[in-house]
Amino acid sequence: MEFEEIQEIWDLQKKQSMYTVNERELHNLILTKKKQAGKLVNLTELMQIIVNTGAGAFIFQKNYFSLKGNFFLYLLAAWMLATAIYILVGRLRRIKRGKRFDESTRGSLEHAIADATHKVRISQLMRWNIITIALLIVLGMVEGGQSIWIIAGMVIFLGLAFYGSGFEHRCYVSRKRELLSLYAKLEQGQPASI
Amino acid sequence: MTSIEQEQIFEAWLNQYKALIFKIVRAYAFTVADQDDLFQEIALQIWRSVPSFQRASSVMTWVYRVAINTAIKWVKKERKHQGAKEISPALCLQPENTRKVDERLDWLYQEIHKLDKIDRSLSLLLLDGLSYKEMSDIMGITESNVGVKISRIKKQLIAKSLKYTSYGI
Repeated sequence: MEFEEIQEIWDLQKKQSMYTVNERELHNLILTKKKQAGKLVNLTELMQIIVNTGAGAFIFQKNYFSLKGNFFLYLLAAWMLATAIYILVGRLRRIKRGKRFDESTRGSLEHAIADATHKVRISQLMRWNIITIALLIVLGMVEGGQSIWIIAGMVIFLGLAFYGSGFEHRCYVSRKRELLSLYAKLEQGQPASI
Repeated sequence: MTSIEQEQIFEAWLNQYKALIFKIVRAYAFTVADQDDLFQEIALQIWRSVPSFQRASSVMTWVYRVAINTAIKWVKKERKHQGAKEISPALCLQPENTRKVDERLDWLYQEIHKLDKIDRSLSLLLLDGLSYKEMSDIMGITESNVGVKISRIKKQLIAKSLKYTSYGI
């Protein structure tokens, strides 16, 4: 078969419609999605900002009003608040960067890769952040004279959190790898001079 | 733009370009439920894209871009959630019962479906007669890159068609 014949087969569709659209259902769907729009967007980032700010502020005020201030707990509160600010700045940068990409397939893929890179970086940083937080918590507990068993329990809990966060990080890495592979396919055959 | 204007533009686009959307839906999804799911997703994305359309490209190019990007993303998402999908009781998209089944067209869609996601999009644009310039605008790659890919796709489709005709179907 020549390509022109394949083209003729394709053009057969012009003579008849494949589907009919149930416009009422479509309209209802759009109304539902309109209400939902934006609700789930950026939930992870917002949660991280809220949790870090809330926990940081709570630890600070608890420590401030206690009879004997704990240096490591002050450090922990400051660290958590700094983490929240870091995520907030990263989020604002990401939103600003999102406006830079065009609507083509390549632009859309580049946008998705930039978002995936951001998630990989944040999940990696948050993972290592658990170690810093764990260290400050343990030092704070030692300074506060907590029993060795409570400290050991806390270490095990934080160790599990560190291990679990590895799964999340690997998910983002794998998603980014998929996007890069798709991008490489799009770029395949690109002349070297361009 | 008011929401009424957005809806009016969306309806006009949908009416004018529904044949184009149907082809993308059929090329990317096999079952009726999947085709309906993808159609809903594309329709939603087109509706969302109305306010950001800036007339830098033609409406057709814009609709193609949105529909193809949505279909590519949908395939990725679909692979992850296979088996966990709910079947909606009321479908937005209903296959025409009066449609005559043309085996050659079914074969062509099957062959397009075997291509990777990027080549699948390009083959649709090629068969719909878009220029390299338009394809380049939609896909965001250079015209020379489009040329390389199109030449490969044409060769692939011709080779497959030879096998198909040799079976005497």
